[in-house]
Amino acid sequence: MPAQSPPEPQPFPRPLRQCRIGLLLPLAGESVAAGFPSPADDYIETGIDLNEQLIARPSSTFFLRVSGDSMVEAGIHHGDLLIVDRSVEPRPGRIVVAVLEGAFTLKRLVLHRGRLRLEAAHPGYPPLALGEGDDTLLWGVAIHVIHPL
Amino acid sequence: MAWATALIDGNNFYASCEAALDPSLIGRPLVVLSNNDGCIVARSAEARALGIAMGTPYFQVRRELERLGVVVRSSNYALYADMSQRLMLTLEPWVEELEIYSIDEAFGRLRRPAGTGAGAADTGADLTAWGQALRAQVRRHLGLPVAVGIGPSKLLAKVANKLAKQNRAHGGVFDLGAVADPDPWLAAVAIEDVWGIGRKLSRWCRLRGVANALQLRDMASGELRAKAGVVGLRLQQELRGHSCLPLVAVPPAKRETCVSRSFSEPVRELPQLREAIATYLSRAAEKLRRQGQRTDTITVFVRSSPFNGTSFYANAATATLPLASNDTAVLLAAALPLAERLFRPHKPLQKAGVLLQNLQPLQQLQHHLLTPLPPEQQQRREALLATIDGLNRRYGRGTVQWAACGLRPAWAMKRQQLSRAATTRLSDIPVVQA
Repeated sequence: MPAQSPPEPQPFPRPLRQCRIGLLLPLAGESVAAGFPSPADDYIETGIDLNEQLIARPSSTFFLRVSGDSMVEAGIHHGDLLIVDRSVEPRPGRIVVAVLEGAFTLKRLVLHRGRLRLEAAHPGYPPLALGEGDDTLLWGVAIHVIHPL
Repeated sequence: MAWATALIDGNNFYASCEAALDPSLIGRPLVVLSNNDGCIVARSAEARALGIAMGTPYFQVRRELERLGVVVRSSNYALYADMSQRLMLTLEPWVEELEIYSIDEAFGRLRRPAGTGAGAADTGADLTAWGQALRAQVRRHLGLPVAVGIGPSKLLAKVANKLAKQNRAHGGVFDLGAVADPDPWLAAVAIEDVWGIGRKLSRWCRLRGVANALQLRDMASGELRAKAGVVGLRLQQELRGHSCLPLVAVPPAKRETCVSRSFSEPVRELPQLREAIATYLSRAAEKLRRQGQRTDTITVFVRSSPFNGTSFYANAATATLPLASNDTAVLLAAALPLAERLFRPHKPLQKAGVLLQNLQPLQQLQHHLLTPLPPEQQQRREALLATIDGLNRRYGRGTVQWAACGLRPAWAMKRQQLSRAATTRLSDIPVVQA
């Protein structure tokens, strides 16, 4: 059902009939650069993209916020921003995000006497053995931490 | 070597997305509600096992869900859209061509290598292992379970996908192109479950004794053609393994866009309706800018609740712009008077929406002599809009908005159990205990 009256007020675009010719036909020239092209054009850099540096696989990369101090000696502090790539294989030595009792936990995966276990990077926290058939899930591998100074 | 088509889709997609970013939900019964927390639109496997039906109105089962310890979530579209994009990105390298069919399903085309059979007996290699590997990767990278159906045509891929899910022994993957005799499998798929067969056509088939996919494949083509035309014939050809529905890798440019929502409670005042229309229009205009399009035809529509007895009211009004635009201010100036024209004081409204039509690409206007503003002003205007869109993308919708949209709208969609935008908003990301 079409409206019968034209809507108003209309800041822009002004209906054509209200416009002066001068507004309708802007003169070309203002924005046309004459002369030789700038010699710097060949050396344009695109700038440093941190996404590109820190995220190899965007589709499987997730951000998590760190809470607690058990990984302090690995340089991961309370409040830091953690970049986790789920496509990276959780090998011993890597810092992993595990699911323990329905919550995300950050620890180092370590091979100790032939058994895998999760170790904190802080003397106050005991290691946690990973049993076979344990429903502990290794959710992803931490690949970077962003820590404000 | 022949071509094969795969249909990959997410199992209980919305529920699975919720659990992918919230480990406390893993293994627990979970349901996701539709807009305004209306009905159950997704169930985790555990909730399915409890016998909770799809589409059940929430208010009817609220108590029961509480008693059973079922977790309830409102639809979190920011999360689902982001996970969908990740899913499609993950699938892309696995196939030669990918058609994104919906938020949680995609068709892929791939080559089927020669099998071990000789000459004409060779049906090609079994792609089940390929499907299993794909499934494992999606599971590991995204935490999402998917089902993979493979066949010589789109329709057979769809059928195979259904069979992959129906039969636990298949482990979520089924290759209909590799089985020696597909007939018993086709017979196991009810006619109502065949993709593209609507309710009317399935009833017609049943009356003729055609009750499953196998019988549809083998029924007389002439009879089917007389009833369902070329569309019906194509479905039959696809069932016979002749691919005739091509993959649509690049979706055609949208000709129109629509934003509409039902209100959490009836809207009885004009200022509220104006706010709602302004909000929907801002969203629609943002969509246009993202798609690089403009519109010159704006329609506003409203309706009351159809369950309200005699006072049902539905109406629409359209305005045309002299020059196509995607500037929210321009579109608002045209749409708000329409809202005023449609408003009736004694007709409480349940739903309203904005429809933008006759969408045109930007380039079409760029070299137009009759530009609405001098180029310098136009550029500044465009920069302003781009900045607003950028801020809203970065810091969340509504960071910068038009005053006309209102600040704390009473009509806004009810989403009381909404989870966080865990993958798209920095303030909402999950916490990891260290």
